Amino acid sequence: MKMLIADDELTSRRLLQRTLERAGYEVTAVENGRFAADELCKLDGPRLALLDWVMPELDGPGVCREVRKQKERSYVYMVLLTSREKKEDVVAGLGSGADDYLTKPFDPEELKARLRTGMRILDLEDRLIEAREQMRYQATHDPLTSLWNRGVIMEMLERELARSEREGKCTAILLGDLDHFKSINDTYGHLAGDEVLKEAARRLLSSVRSYDFVGRYGGEEILVALNNCDPAYAFLRAEDIRKTLAARPVDTLAGPIPITMSIGLLLSQQWGRQPIKNLLNEVDAALYAAKHAGRNCVKIASPKVGDPPARELTAEAVRRAR
Amino acid sequence: MSRSVIDLDELMARVENDRDLMRDLMLIFKEEFPRHEEALREAVASQDASGVVGAAHTLKGMLSNMAAAEAAAAAACLEQLGRDGEITKLGEPLAQFEKIAEELTRQIDLCLAEVSA
Repeated sequence: MKMLIADDELTSRRLLQRTLERAGYEVTAVENGRFAADELCKLDGPRLALLDWVMPELDGPGVCREVRKQKERSYVYMVLLTSREKKEDVVAGLGSGADDYLTKPFDPEELKARLRTGMRILDLEDRLIEAREQMRYQATHDPLTSLWNRGVIMEMLERELARSEREGKCTAILLGDLDHFKSINDTYGHLAGDEVLKEAARRLLSSVRSYDFVGRYGGEEILVALNNCDPAYAFLRAEDIRKTLAARPVDTLAGPIPITMSIGLLLSQQWGRQPIKNLLNEVDAALYAAKHAGRNCVKIASPKVGDPPARELTAEAVRRAR
Repeated sequence: MSRSVIDLDELMARVENDRDLMRDLMLIFKEEFPRHEEALREAVASQDASGVVGAAHTLKGMLSNMAAAEAAAAAACLEQLGRDGEITKLGEPLAQFEKIAEELTRQIDLCLAEVSA
């Protein structure tokens, strides 16, 4: 465990450093309060600190106050070292944000015991943060595919659409549906169906950029937002995704299962300001058109009255777009 | 025979029986102590109360670490007088501190010779 010692007096510093290194700590020793505050405010700085009360530049309580102002980093457990034993001094030290204090000259066993208390507090904090992160993950991700869940992907899409509109950019919305998924479940069983969904999610994630969003929209429906997407290439990217999905069968415990995906595609720039519900209805209609056209293809949601409702992206269209 | 102004048993306990560390501390002490003692003398001579408090405080901490309780108490007395602004009453306590410090330095030299042997 990394820890920091701050003391301007060299015998104290050496004594503390050696005692604590022997106890297994990875010690950084500094000679004034300013250096101590700078070290402790680093995001990956030590989380355990022994601070002399009287130091040049910044005293121990001053270091505590600075560190407590820093809200982004993990909790730092700070012990003040003091030869002051008056009640008001102790109260002032703890009031500055110190967790404990130790009177000089220190007893090595007492010092180590106090630091073990600090370690227990830090360990407790780590476990609480881990539990919170687990809960946050569970609340935002689909448990089977680990994609964003429906609520989160909708929020992300809404934010991204607003941003695109503000910045005059385009977001491409893809709604994909695994073809014949019911038949996969019926033929190979639901466990194999789950494996197919997981692998499809993995392939989808691997075929988009790190700043695109992929979420599970429904049973076997997956929603993808391609952010800041050049409209000229959106068709090709949707095609690439479709091809990646269908590239090879999914290996499952029930054997290899070929998969394909029908995709509806909508370019936000072509639709202007619209409620997200309307856009999702349109892209859903395009997906339906892709299913109707024989599956394993991409259809584009077209906004213009009189235009065909959706255009199949044929090999010829792809060639022209290139 | 002069009385002992350093408690070697206590010092050994403080360094957890690490003789190398004890030797290190003594060497640091020999190098650092005269500088801080001189700062204290100058602060007393120039009647600089905050200078007296700062130097005496540092000396007190250093002497406590060396298990030199009597010298640490004398430094604490000077620190308190400085805090109280009793700047004209420092002559005698300073002389007393210097006397103990001289004996302490002599005993530390002896210890060092012994530890090094």
